[in-house]
Amino acid sequence: MKEGKMIAMLLAGGQGSRLKLLTSDVAKPAVPFGGKYKIIDFPLSNCSNSNIFDVGILTQYKPYLLNSHIGIGSAWDLDRPSGGVRILPPYTNEEGGRWYKGTANAIFENMSFIDELDPTYVLILSGDHIYKMDYSVMLDFHIKKNADVTISVIEVPWEETSRFGILKIDDEDLIKEFLEKPKNADSNLASMGIYIFNWKSLRQYLLDDELDSKSENDFGRNIIPNMTDDGKKMFAYKFQGYWKDVGTIKSYWEANMDLLSDDNTLDLYDRSWKIFTKNRHLPPHYISPEATVTKCLLNEGCFIEGAIENSVLFSEIKIGKKSKVINSVLLSGVIVEEGAEINNAVIMENVVIKAGTIIGSKDCDEIYLVSSTNIVES
Amino acid sequence: MKNCLGIINLSESDSNLGVLTQKRPTAMLPFAGRYRVIDFILSNMVNSGITGIGVFTGNKVRSVMDHLGSGQSWDLDRKINGLFLFTPTYDYNAINQKVGDLDLFYQNNTFLKYSKQDYILFAKSYMLANIDYNTAFKEFVESGADISMIYKKVRDRKNAYLGCDKIHFDGQGHFESVGTNLGMEDEFNLSMEMYFMKKSVYFEMLYDAIEKGSANYLKQAIFNNLDKYKVSTYEFKGNVFCINNVRNYFYANMDILKPDVANDLFYNNGHILTKVKDEPSTHYKENARIKNSFIANGCQIDGFVENSIIFRGVKIEKGCIIRNSIIMQKADIENNVHLNYVILDKRTKVNKGVTLIGDPSSPYIGGKKSLITREGEQ
Repeated sequence: MKEGKMIAMLLAGGQGSRLKLLTSDVAKPAVPFGGKYKIIDFPLSNCSNSNIFDVGILTQYKPYLLNSHIGIGSAWDLDRPSGGVRILPPYTNEEGGRWYKGTANAIFENMSFIDELDPTYVLILSGDHIYKMDYSVMLDFHIKKNADVTISVIEVPWEETSRFGILKIDDEDLIKEFLEKPKNADSNLASMGIYIFNWKSLRQYLLDDELDSKSENDFGRNIIPNMTDDGKKMFAYKFQGYWKDVGTIKSYWEANMDLLSDDNTLDLYDRSWKIFTKNRHLPPHYISPEATVTKCLLNEGCFIEGAIENSVLFSEIKIGKKSKVINSVLLSGVIVEEGAEINNAVIMENVVIKAGTIIGSKDCDEIYLVSSTNIVES
Repeated sequence: MKNCLGIINLSESDSNLGVLTQKRPTAMLPFAGRYRVIDFILSNMVNSGITGIGVFTGNKVRSVMDHLGSGQSWDLDRKINGLFLFTPTYDYNAINQKVGDLDLFYQNNTFLKYSKQDYILFAKSYMLANIDYNTAFKEFVESGADISMIYKKVRDRKNAYLGCDKIHFDGQGHFESVGTNLGMEDEFNLSMEMYFMKKSVYFEMLYDAIEKGSANYLKQAIFNNLDKYKVSTYEFKGNVFCINNVRNYFYANMDILKPDVANDLFYNNGHILTKVKDEPSTHYKENARIKNSFIANGCQIDGFVENSIIFRGVKIEKGCIIRNSIIMQKADIENNVHLNYVILDKRTKVNKGVTLIGDPSSPYIGGKKSLITREGEQ
């Protein structure tokens, strides 16, 4: 064993049902984001940039597109002769087949995989969040504090505390109390779902948790409270920067729009912390003489002849003449025909907006999710 | 096309490309926003199903090695076949170093000798096109010819192909001879310097030329033997750009702004593959106004851009007016810069308020990594 080795286990089996049609075909980690990424690109790139090259990805819900996106991990430099990325779906054994019952159970079921790698520390990540973070700094903190568990936390607005797992800490960052979605919280430090455990200690808790028939086999609901009860040394690592859990269509739309403002803190242009993704080898985009393009993100293979404003466009999108796209997110392969107008919408992959169609209006607050078969209001 | 080996020879004349080819061969010239000239011939071969490709790098090796690497971007990092690079070697036994590519081929004779393919496709990089070799190869093999030449019927009023090879046919449309284009005819058959050859014929010619000292260049050897062997031809009908001087390079880039040309060059016979840079989306800011331009990913643009080609990762600040220009990778253009008919090489920095005006026949060229200030110091 390499002394102090840390591996990452990335939970990527979630459905993200509140994203409605966006996750009707793919797991939430495979949902496109920010013009060219998928959400899982953020934790994967963070791993690679943090020099973590052993990453187990736990998949369950509609994994096909996710699997083909990840491949052998070469896009993230995770195709390694030893270690690298491993996709870990549920499997069968002598006792039959089982689905992953919860986040902790998913790790429990892959105990032999982790034992094989024999790490000192295990980093638990979620494939649902958008952020840039150096996990090696968090590990340094974990080691310095001589902690059993370190939980990464972020300050959230007070009115949103009831949406998160909230932690109360002391002056030394030692966690005193853990409250799952509290009504009237007196702390606004929310758990980001990122944990570093000492593997030996986590291993025992997973074994015990599996024997407890009442357990939901969840890190937030079971493992962490059990460890708190036992007086384990648990520390909160305060993260500063952009972090977003896009739970709903509206927050998904907002997170994309965040990228258009000049003071957005998720700096995707920082060359020292690149976000990697699978490449599609498309030519640059073309903007015609009659087009207007202001406050937009554009990607490869687009062909723009209309007006686009305050929008995020993925790749290979065609915008016809005299059409308008305002305050919208257009996923790859969308075609907007001549004279169509789109306001405040998220248009799903390969949807064709017929000539003259008008979606939404500039002044309304609603966000429309448009697929090839129907339109959903947020 | 498994039975055909590809050979790309990068010892091309670059004397008319000035400062652009000071540190790089023609093959490594950035082209069309995100490519290098060599990407086209490499992608053509790969997309046509050629799996073994030898590249003779010429003298400016650094740039070639940096771009091609293991050949992964072209799917050429293979156990069976793949990419082979041949750099110039110094022969201590020779009394004097020989000029010409035949000697270079001969020095690396083992590669061709022990390759399993029966046919060879010889090409250079400076004839830029998107071509599917399958039909040409099939016709060549079925015709039983020893050598096949690929040509394109061109109308050349601007003398873009001066000095290139032209192919003549007799009254019955049979191949007659090859000569040099001096610009006497507007319409002629341009040799694309792509030759299919039986491997056995290649060796006959090679040994004969070296023993007799009758040729230094492969082309010379072929032309010497045209009456001895059966020669067939294949007409290519797509767009061909000959990148052999600054004017041709400039106009080839500008032609990409015609959507039908771009379509032919980027989509007709498969995508053009290049080294992946993981650039984020291009961000158009509040003051961006873009007309008729071809723009790659990773740019941040807040100025006016018209009739231009912008490469990956370029920054253009507020108040800039950029027309009819080629701005290469990672150029950084500060406030209120005016450019017209300018080629800026990689990582050029233009300080605020600078005005640079070139001429369509002779664009202003800002050398690689140069700093252009108002005092005119570079």
